[in-house]
Amino acid sequence: MSSMEYLKPEDSQAVGDVIGNRALAGWEIASVVSSIFIAEWLASVAVDWMRIAVVVPIGLAFVLSISSHRLRGETLRDLGFRLDNFLRAAGLLTLPMIVTAIVCLAIGWWTGERIDFLRWHISRPLAVQLILGFAWGFVQQYMLQSLVNRRAQIIWGRGWLSVLVVAAIFAGLHLPNPALTVATFVGGVIWAAVYQRAPNIFALAISHSLMTWIVVSTVPASALHHLRIGLKYFGSN
Amino acid sequence: MSNRPRSKLIHLLISKSIAEALLVAAIAIGFYFATSNPDLRGVLDVANAETVNGWAVDEARPWTRVEVQLFIDNEFVADKNAAEFRPDVHSAKRAEDEWHGFIFETPPLPAGEHEARVYALLPNAAGSRRTLQLIGKPFRFLIEPKQTRLGLPQEKGGTR
Repeated sequence: MSSMEYLKPEDSQAVGDVIGNRALAGWEIASVVSSIFIAEWLASVAVDWMRIAVVVPIGLAFVLSISSHRLRGETLRDLGFRLDNFLRAAGLLTLPMIVTAIVCLAIGWWTGERIDFLRWHISRPLAVQLILGFAWGFVQQYMLQSLVNRRAQIIWGRGWLSVLVVAAIFAGLHLPNPALTVATFVGGVIWAAVYQRAPNIFALAISHSLMTWIVVSTVPASALHHLRIGLKYFGSN
Repeated sequence: MSNRPRSKLIHLLISKSIAEALLVAAIAIGFYFATSNPDLRGVLDVANAETVNGWAVDEARPWTRVEVQLFIDNEFVADKNAAEFRPDVHSAKRAEDEWHGFIFETPPLPAGEHEARVYALLPNAAGSRRTLQLIGKPFRFLIEPKQTRLGLPQEKGGTR
């Protein structure tokens, strides 16, 4: 093909040749991250009725993610929606979760913070809050592991480099809250590493909910800043 | 991954990027109109040791009075409605009536140069946020030592 010839839109094979698999995986990660940043930093602080705009980037991220799985031929089992490896994933998560919980308790004692396992959401029963935390963790872990982690493995392969990239992305999405950024980086490393060994979103979502409960109950509330991220971190409502 | 699904994925990514760029542009434009009033007109005419005065009109609602706030040297001083008699604004066809002026009494200030700014207060539709929009330009003025009601300014580098 000479330099003056252009690809025809219907020539899908030629279009597919333009970008390699690793570049495409990187583009997918960047696209999903940009959607979440738009939701966190712009749409969620839009004024009045424009707040509804937050559903657009989040919806687009899910459309991209689900379409990507379908086009890449990934099954639910590949993505981690399975139960056969649940105990293995839970086993891998147990030790890091215990260590993290001890560190959080130590931070609570060291700072003189009153440790209160009922303060996550004072107007809701703890069991309900843990279930809601599981649901929210499930969504986050799906996007983080089933898309970002799997695409990071296409680019950098399985191992610490892709694990650290996933953790850094997860932490970056919690800026500018410093305590939450550090906590999510640590959590991101644990969850990404476990997912690469035993991909199970259910176990990760349970871990996500439990670790959030531990952090909220032990780390000083002033440091967590009501778990606010994005532009809302600077606001009062 | 074969070429056909890869091509579809590329098209999807491009479409998503365009949709998000349009969304960000729409939010930016919406934010601009929600937090500023392009129909606001006004001038800060004079600022001195006695008064700060000017006028302000919302041309989209010329019968209403604009709420204005005076800041001197970036410190809030006072708040009032621009409802003073200004026949010149009406005769210049900038307002439907003659009552769109504002006159603030200048607070006691130390001798030296100061800057006055007057802002219109813009509440959003829900009343949950208020933003300030500068009227005219900042006005720099000088207070002579004999005019001040607070005494001489301190020398730079500390007291003697």
